[in-house]
Amino acid sequence: MRIVHWLGVLLLTCVPVLSAMAVDVIANKDVPVSKLSVANARAIFGMRQVKWPDGTLIRVFVLPDTHALHGALCKERLNLYPYQLRQSWDRLVYSGMAQAPTEVATEAELIAQVAATPGAIGYASRLQNNEKVRVIHVE
Amino acid sequence: MWNREMAVGMLAACCYLHGGAASADDDRLQVHGFFSQAAAHTDKNNVGGNSDGGWGLDMREMGINVSYRPNADWMLSGQALARWAGSSDEGDPRVDYAFVDHTLSSDEHGRIGVQIGKVKNPYGFYNTTRDVAHTRSGILLPQAVYIDELRNTFLAAPGISINGNHYFQDASLEWAVNFIRPEVDAEALTAFMVSRQPGHFEGQNSWLAQALWEQEGGHWRIGLTLGNVEMTYKAALPFPADLFPGNLALHTGVFSLEHNRETWSLTAEYMLTRQLRDEFIPLLPGNSFDKDSTVEAGYVQGLWRFAPRWQAYARYEALYLDRKDKNGKIFNIQSGGAVPPWQRFSRDKVVGVRYDHNSSWALSAEYHDVDGTAWLPRLDNPAAQMQQRWQMFLLQAAYRF
Repeated sequence: MRIVHWLGVLLLTCVPVLSAMAVDVIANKDVPVSKLSVANARAIFGMRQVKWPDGTLIRVFVLPDTHALHGALCKERLNLYPYQLRQSWDRLVYSGMAQAPTEVATEAELIAQVAATPGAIGYASRLQNNEKVRVIHVE
Repeated sequence: MWNREMAVGMLAACCYLHGGAASADDDRLQVHGFFSQAAAHTDKNNVGGNSDGGWGLDMREMGINVSYRPNADWMLSGQALARWAGSSDEGDPRVDYAFVDHTLSSDEHGRIGVQIGKVKNPYGFYNTTRDVAHTRSGILLPQAVYIDELRNTFLAAPGISINGNHYFQDASLEWAVNFIRPEVDAEALTAFMVSRQPGHFEGQNSWLAQALWEQEGGHWRIGLTLGNVEMTYKAALPFPADLFPGNLALHTGVFSLEHNRETWSLTAEYMLTRQLRDEFIPLLPGNSFDKDSTVEAGYVQGLWRFAPRWQAYARYEALYLDRKDKNGKIFNIQSGGAVPPWQRFSRDKVVGVRYDHNSSWALSAEYHDVDGTAWLPRLDNPAAQMQQRWQMFLLQAAYRF
């Protein structure tokens, strides 16, 4: 019973951390913006806005739908749910209206791809940001 | 015939281009595809082939699409599709859509573009991807609004589409206006619109338009679709072996509403379609046979994401082929008893469950309790054999990449 009690306390203390994962939108260093409105962030991750102000193609990198960081991007930065983003992509991709974002398996791979691909945008946990990418503020 | 060769050619081009494309660094070329197989069991009437008392397995879709974006302002897209649906569709590969998309103007507030080719037509929330099982709101789309036997009227068609997206502070607007010539030469459609005849319909200049407003990232979605689809009937034989040549117009509109929360969603759509035809169906003594009538239909669906990877849904839908004759009795009298009244309406209660094993595989099961036979495929269900109250159980496995 004591074990159950302490496990419960542990769980309760963990919940606030788990439910509010700090996530940053990141971009390749040559991307010509440093901040985006929520509307534009939704349009970019929703594969509707496909070019930066200087005309270069936006390359979107994402993690799998079930990845905790992907959930955090959706809920905290875009104010929508992962299933809505997926439905939106499906509607566009299977009617020829847009291309799908590039899905990678791990956060490390996502950061590496964003750093190496001109025009790229993605996301990473705040703790893992490094100098190879630019942080984009979404407001 | 050109459709089948074009589809095979597109498939070959896809494979060649995909094989020769550069590595993941160059994502300008993308290939996606889908496959689904369903099975239907009905206690009466036939769906997906001979399902009356057995299993109808003639319910299958497969498709492959390719998109190529050489730069931010141009995109080429195409999809080849094969579909099996009982006698209504027998698996002939065809071009589903193939068009060039050009962005006319674009900035941080939005985008306006034009598409030329065989373009996808917006109709309600689901028409543009109705053949992709993963994107449907059930194994079958609500037949009240998305009558499969009439799909050709609203499917992709040769023409031009002008469309745009606009981003506001907490909302977005998406719109499209399509000028098309629908490809309505399909036996199933002729059987549904008139009856089995040697002749066929030919699409004329038509238009379809949609505006879709999404509030707060899609917590609320509101859509309005309007359109005017024109077609002419081309007789193959002189009367009485066939009907007289004639014209048919569909003035249609759909109002769509959806509310989305984390674990549940509520969707409703309401459709009115006025069909006007001149007298190519010969007048029977003392009546004008369905010359000007309005189809009225709608549905409400609740969906609950009760566990990761699982969802359950329940839906009520109603379809009336003539809103002034909802119980079909007038049409029954006018047809001299040949058409049973329950062919003119259907009220369907649906429950279903879906399991998404991963982002590629989905399995679904669905149960229908139906009163009426308005949307049943006519080719598989002669009027004299249609039974009013019937039930259906469906299973489906779907894959996509």
